[in-house]
Amino acid sequence: MLKQTILAFFGSIFPVILFNIDRKKVFWAGLSGVVGWVVYSLIYYSTNSPAMPSFFGAFAVGIYSEAMARKFKTPAFVFLIPGIFPLVPGITAYNTLRFIVENNISEAFNKGIQTVVVGGDIAFGVMLSTAIFKFISKIRSKSRSS
Amino acid sequence: MEAKKAIEIVTAAGEILLSNGAEAYRVEETITKICNSYGLRGECISTSTGLFISVVAADGEMVTSVKRIKVRLVDLYKIELVNSFSRGLINKPVSYEEAKKILKEINNAPNYKLGVRLMAACMTSFIYTLFFNGTIFDALTSAIISIGIYLMLEKISEVGFFQFLEYYLSGFIIGIVSFTVEILIPAINKDNVITGSIIVLLPGVALTNGIKDLLYGDFVSGTAKFGEAMLIIIAMSFGIGTALSLFLKWM
Repeated sequence: MLKQTILAFFGSIFPVILFNIDRKKVFWAGLSGVVGWVVYSLIYYSTNSPAMPSFFGAFAVGIYSEAMARKFKTPAFVFLIPGIFPLVPGITAYNTLRFIVENNISEAFNKGIQTVVVGGDIAFGVMLSTAIFKFISKIRSKSRSS
Repeated sequence: MEAKKAIEIVTAAGEILLSNGAEAYRVEETITKICNSYGLRGECISTSTGLFISVVAADGEMVTSVKRIKVRLVDLYKIELVNSFSRGLINKPVSYEEAKKILKEINNAPNYKLGVRLMAACMTSFIYTLFFNGTIFDALTSAIISIGIYLMLEKISEVGFFQFLEYYLSGFIIGIVSFTVEILIPAINKDNVITGSIIVLLPGVALTNGIKDLLYGDFVSGTAKFGEAMLIIIAMSFGIGTALSLFLKWM
């Protein structure tokens, strides 16, 4: 668990260097991966379901990156993109492909559905957290102006 | 400021944003913001491949411009710079010449050197192979593969090729190399090597920004970005699939 968390930290730092992130924010981008992964593993150990942890992990990453975007006054995706990297269902996607090549269609279908579900979970988690943040800030700006 | 001069600045800013992977709503918001801070009214539609802007001056003079975006890279730093430039304009509008100079500087903003990026690509694969429970030898193999892949992608995109072929070739090379390595050194597991190597090719920016575009109701640009990401993923899997089928047939 600790090993995985440390790997998640570095695994979020190195991809963003390829996307040319501002040098001062590299550390915070790495922390975004840690937040996502810790939430993911906590939910995974308590529910043992393949779909739920990805949703909550992505949700936590979304909340973290929106909060950090307010703090540093930068676009939120600077923290959002590195955060979801550890959650991407790389292994299941690859296994789908492998089963298709091996002509084992029923297993491929099984894994393929799992990949799509996890991908959708991540997308929905990000959407929900961003929408909640926007909603709150809209309410705030309205109450301030009136 | 005259509408003609303003539209030049606005088009340049929009081009930087869109060609470096910003979301559609950010492009539209930035353009209206810049126009407002010069006392003009601006309207913009942005799809992921082009920009339509029209600026209306106070005396009713209307200027329209269309910009086609051909090159699409990922450079989050430039987006940040344009973002803070447009925010600063509200408080302190700068002159036409100065704004052009600032945008030119942003366009030439420094990227990491090729060596650093190669190292980052190699470390990404190394770490994700370990992350997906590979051994240290698997990780070293995938690190070496991803250096080669990243260098190849860089060289191909300099020539300017179809995106599909770039990613198809990368997937194919990943498949071939890792299968060969597994045959030569049986201690290495090809599945771990492949899962670690393909992370470098993952279209993370297109996917997350596609989600956000859909959320904000920019369906044209959102589905286009999803389409782009899907094309990359499918091309990559076809490449790996081709390599795997070839080996399964002949081994």
